[in-house]
This record gives sequence, C-alpha cells and structure tokens, in this order.
Amino acid sequence: MDEMHRFLDHGFIWFSWLAALLTLGALGLFLGFLGVNGLAALNLGLFFGEASPWQVIMGGQPAGEGIWPACVGTVYLVVLSSLLALPLGIGSGVYLAQYASPAPKRLFGFAVDLLAGIPSILMGLFGFALILFLRKTLFPQANTCLLLSAVCLALLVLPYLILTTQSSLEGLPAPIKVAGLSLGFTPWQNLVHILLPAASRGILSGIILAVGRAAEDTAVILLTGVVANAGTPQSLTDKYAALPFHIFYLAAEHRTTGELAQAYGAALILLLLTGTLYAIAYWLHATLVNKWEQKNIMLRR
Amino acid sequence: MGTKEHNAAALAALIEHLSVSFGPRQVLKDLDLTLEKGRLYVLIGRSGAGKTTFLRCFNRLNECFPGCHTQGSLRLNLGNQWVDIYRNDLPVTELRRRVGMVFQTPNTLPASVEKNITLPLKLVLGLGKKEIPEKVEWALRQTHLWEEVRDRLHLPAGILSGGQQQRLCLARVLALDPTLLLLDEPTASLDFRSSQKIEELLLNLKERYTILAVSHSLSQARRLGDKVLVFNEGRRVGTFERSELQQGERFQGLLEEIF
Repeated sequence: MDEMHRFLDHGFIWFSWLAALLTLGALGLFLGFLGVNGLAALNLGLFFGEASPWQVIMGGQPAGEGIWPACVGTVYLVVLSSLLALPLGIGSGVYLAQYASPAPKRLFGFAVDLLAGIPSILMGLFGFALILFLRKTLFPQANTCLLLSAVCLALLVLPYLILTTQSSLEGLPAPIKVAGLSLGFTPWQNLVHILLPAASRGILSGIILAVGRAAEDTAVILLTGVVANAGTPQSLTDKYAALPFHIFYLAAEHRTTGELAQAYGAALILLLLTGTLYAIAYWLHATLVNKWEQKNIMLRR
Repeated sequence: MGTKEHNAAALAALIEHLSVSFGPRQVLKDLDLTLEKGRLYVLIGRSGAGKTTFLRCFNRLNECFPGCHTQGSLRLNLGNQWVDIYRNDLPVTELRRRVGMVFQTPNTLPASVEKNITLPLKLVLGLGKKEIPEKVEWALRQTHLWEEVRDRLHLPAGILSGGQQQRLCLARVLALDPTLLLLDEPTASLDFRSSQKIEELLLNLKERYTILAVSHSLSQARRLGDKVLVFNEGRRVGTFERSELQQGERFQGLLEEIF
C-alpha cells in the first residue's frame, strides 16, 4: 500500500511538471511559429502600404493594403467596449458581493452564468437583429457600425468582469471586510478605501481577460460593422477595419504568398497590441496600489 | 434609569433584555448587565457561548453578518450623554468610532503602518494634514510601538510581527478617541512574550477606558479582570469580583460548578 502511495505521489509530481512544461512548450512553439512567419513581414509597408505613414496617420491618405486602419479600429473597439463594460461589470460585481440579498443574488448569478455561456456568434446575431429592429422602428438610418460592435463586445466581456469582481470581493478574509466598518467607516468608504483596493488584483485579472477577449473576437464584429479595407473610422457610426477580421480575411482569401505573410505580420501585431494593453493595465494597477499604500514620508522629521 | 439614577455618572453601560439571533439560532438570550466605568471586564466561556456576539452588540457589528436580529436595549454613557444605541440615538459610524474593537487576529489594512492610522483619522475624524502626524505618534506611543516602528512607518504593516500588528490595531482604535474598548481574544494568535506586552498595555489603559475583553485563558482572566463574566449558551451564568479571582481554588470551584 505504501509503495502504491509513493508511486502516486511521485507520479503526480511528474505529471504536474509535465503539464506545466507542455503548456510552456506549446506557447513557445506558437510564438516561434508566428515569429518565423510574421517577422519577415514587419515593415512600414505592412502598416501603411505604399502611402506615406505621416499622411495616413493624419488621415490625409488611405493606407491601401496597410493594416494601420485595422490597428486603429481594434484599439477603438477595445477602448470603447472597456469604457462601457468596466463600470457596469465592476458595479454589478460589487452589488452581487456586497448588497444583494440571497434571492436576487441567485437570479442575477444565474443570469450572469447564462450570459457567460453565450457563444460570440450569437452576440453578433443579436447586434445584427437589433439594427434591423431599429431600422424598422425608431431609426431608419441605423446601420452596423463601430458603436454597435463595441456594445455587443461589452456585453460579451461583461460576465468576466462581474464574476472576477464578485469572487475577489467575496474571497477577502472576514477580518478585512469588517476592519473599516468597525472603525466607523461608512459602507461607501469601506468599499472604496479598503475592499476594492484589497480586491484589485483579482479585478485586474478580470479586466485583462475582458480586454483580451474584446481584442481578439471576430464573430461579434463580423455581423456588426467590420469591413475589410474600411479605412480609419472617423466617427462612432462608421464602418471600420479590425485586426482579427483582417487576419481571418487574408488567411481565407489570400491570392499571393505576400498576402499570407501580411496575415502573419498582422497576427504578430495583434499579439503585441494586446500585450501592450496588458502592460498598460498592470501599470495602472501598480500606480493605483502604490498611491493607495501611500509610501509617503509625512512623518519623517 | 430608575434606581440607578444616582450613580449613573459612574456607569459605562446599561443592558436590559438583550437578545441576539442569527436566523433561527438564538445566540444571546435575555441578557441584563450593568458595566461600571474605567473597569476591565473579562468574558470567558466555551466557544459558541455568545461572547463575541455580546462584544459586537456594543458597536452594532453583528449587523454586518447575515440574518442578525437584535432585541432589547443597550445604553452607553458617552461622557456627556447616554445613548440607547438600538434606538438610533447615534449614527452607527459615530458609535463605532466611540466603541473601538480589536479582533482575534490582527486585521491591519494591507497598506503602510502609517496609513493604517492616518486613513481612519482622515475618513472618520476628518482630520487635516497638520493634526494627523501628532495624533499618529501619540497613538503609537500609547501602545509602546513608536520606538519600534518610527523608522518603518512607510513600510507595509504586514512586515510587522503578530504582536506588533495587534498593537498597531489597538493604536488605530485609540487614535479615534474611543470611550469603550472591545477586545476579542486579542492575544489568541500571539506568542507568550507578545501576549504579555498586550496584557501590560491593557492594565495601563483600563484607567482611562472601560474595557471588555474576551479571553480564552482562565489565568489571563485572573491576571487582567476587575470582573470576570462567565457565559454559557447565550446567558451570563456567573460573575466574579477581583477579590474572588485571587482565591484560586474558589474561582476554580465555582467555574467547575458552572460548566
């Protein structure tokens, strides 16, 4: 029996190592593959085609075959959908963790789980149907556009934010939860000055999941306003280009090896873009935490 | 206050018919008690006897836990006025400032040593930048922590030892000028030396504050208590005066009788 236990113990340790190594290996393989195929395509032409970069950035010239408008479109999408989803998601998470009584909490929790389970193509269809409905009723001019995509993406990523906010607040140790209240803090002061900062790591991971999802999703935007070669969007009601769709389009419809190489290049850029967004999220978090911990030297005389 | 009117100024609290339940479970049952000012009361009893719930009645912290229902009256002497805290004579935030609580495990905020005291001063007392440093130093001196942490004020409170963290929690409470102190097994998570320091502190502090402390140890109750209140199944089943505590055998005998 002892032998058996020892075998299981060792076996499991080996398995854990193997699993971790396989994951890292898969990631390495993926990055290597993307690097080998995409690095060659990285040059100014990838972004701006034949046009002058300055002219394209300032909006004077179309970028032709370049991916600049798609980069801008993706950044717009991520920022817009985050602006919509962050307050709603964190707010709902706070409500569920702090204020909801058991019955509404169960109902709301079920609704969030349901929302989390909706495939993104359905969310796209929902946006599309919404526009059809609006056209027939209140706004005959309504059309698929950047704003519609951002709304649908926000809806798609909302559950990540709600669930991570809720669970990281609920996961705080009980002594921390009542520390502020026992000192005479109002519930609002307790939330803002103690609970949210203490739960911020978990909330940040939700934000990162949400940003990543909003940046990569293709199915939602496919039906709600993305177009190949749309140019840089000038307003919320414009059609737009986006990196994931651009990659999908090129990969499916390329006519030359050059176009396929451009798809790899665009994929690498998308990866860098989401990486940058993560870095910004981390930096913001670190700054806020630092400010909260207030390493000042007020008392050093 | 009826018959007690004549010595009301010497009293800290009057409790009448106090019952607390959480959902269907009644934790405190029809409690009557009078607390005198400037004394240290030690509460002992088995776990689940309702000691912690009784402490939390004084700052209405029970209400932060689901299903709580409190009946009866609890009146506090806040120096210039008596307030019936369950008749909303006083905003709960003000009540909790006046009735400071220290918990079983140190619950320092995950922030700097200094901010653990400055944040409540700012938010609860509304103090400005000028008054705060003085108050922080005063509070840390009260708990004999100043010399130990004066160079580490900006470091996270988490790097302090358990005993130091617990004294920081006490300092944080004292900074808010309380009248009553609630201590829920304040030495339960500490080693012998740290416990001893906290006990010394409490003996000093009891001259200025009325203190209610839950203890897990009979010997500690004997060392600290002016009065020891024994709880069992939500009721107070015995009270020992200081003089009775020193007669070890008698105290022991009475306890054995009760449990």
